[in-house]
Amino acid sequence: MKAPDFSYYEAETLSDAIKFKSQDDEAIILAGGQSLLPALNMRLSSPSCLIDISKLKDLNDIRLEDNSIYIGALATHTQVMESSIIIEKFPSLVSILKMVAHAAIRNKGTHGGSISYGDPAAELPAFAVAMNAEIIVSGLNGNRSIAAEDFYLGLFETDIKSDEILIGINYPLVKNNEKIVFEEICRRHGDYAMAGLIAKVKTYQSTIEKLKLVFFATGDRPNVTSKTSEIVVNNGYEYSVIKKSLSSEIDFAGDLNSSEEMKLHLATILISKILKKLEN
Amino acid sequence: MSAKKNITVSFELNGEKFDNVIVPARQHLADYLRGEGFTGTHLGCEQGACGACTIEMDGKAVRSCLVLASQVNGSLIKTVEGFDDDIMKIVKNNFLKHNAFQCGFCSPGMLMTTKEIVLKKKKLTREEIRSEISGNYCRCTGYQSIVDAIEESITEVI
Repeated sequence: MKAPDFSYYEAETLSDAIKFKSQDDEAIILAGGQSLLPALNMRLSSPSCLIDISKLKDLNDIRLEDNSIYIGALATHTQVMESSIIIEKFPSLVSILKMVAHAAIRNKGTHGGSISYGDPAAELPAFAVAMNAEIIVSGLNGNRSIAAEDFYLGLFETDIKSDEILIGINYPLVKNNEKIVFEEICRRHGDYAMAGLIAKVKTYQSTIEKLKLVFFATGDRPNVTSKTSEIVVNNGYEYSVIKKSLSSEIDFAGDLNSSEEMKLHLATILISKILKKLEN
Repeated sequence: MSAKKNITVSFELNGEKFDNVIVPARQHLADYLRGEGFTGTHLGCEQGACGACTIEMDGKAVRSCLVLASQVNGSLIKTVEGFDDDIMKIVKNNFLKHNAFQCGFCSPGMLMTTKEIVLKKKKLTREEIRSEISGNYCRCTGYQSIVDAIEESITEVI
């Protein structure tokens, strides 16, 4: 299908874009457009105007700071994957991004775009939550930083206010005794997952001391399951126990590929898969 | 500058300058290109899944159904009609040699994706090639010969 009628505004500065957005509630920010344009082509969204920020300068920085890595909102997935800082300090992010769509889409799709779009089936929102990232937005009253866990409010719904634009993400560095483990199940490489899991694991002498589990493609937002994590740390993996715990912690939502029941099963299995990965 | 329904853009397409072209804000690039007679860019799904509309924009492969025509101001665009560089010659010859064109619908996108794979000059297993082209559908299911063609193109440039 073709996109509905809308007008287009190419912002020349960030403050232009913020001002424009604050004056029009129906306007949407266009960055890489790799999720937004399919949604428009399928008429799932009908904005009054697209505010194109893709040509703004200084928003695609990737830099190492004292205890964190900063990724500018407009860094494309390809730029992130090819960044020497990310390859060295954040190899897990490179392997996660390999699962995000396909090369031609990663050439245009942006890091901040994926984080702010808030698709519950996407990898990056779950990654940001798993990493306790800080999401930085800029608005009429200056910048504000939001903890990733508080950022996602519901289906495609985030804490970004009508005058705010996401400008970057700050990820705490992974410590020596921490690991990021990632697993997803999908029908075809590059498709949205039927269910996926990103785990941040803290180990002590090869036993798991602390575990943070964040699921995606399971509910209406990245799902953190702290009770299930505790069960895994204390009692290990037992299919029926884990399944029961997950069903009480996640409000599963089915989609075209898989029912709620299927997603619950896959989410349970994903935990055993990441535990196997950790053993190796 | 204010929001507009018709946008004026200037860009370069297959080496030719296009100045002050007026495009509707909602039109995607693939539709614009086809309207101008560049029908080598094919449209399948218009949601980024099939890969048939893949073109080169500023040196990178992109989906032309997921770029607005209004966004191309200042860009260098290449479509299948303009693929005349040495790498693309190697790729095209290998597609011919291995009968990897079949019906031709996916070919422009496949060629573009292949060019980007080949440019990395890295030896890949057949399995890895398949995952690299997972964003391009061939409904003839001619993947075997497409992988053959990509494999030989990579060998030729390394």
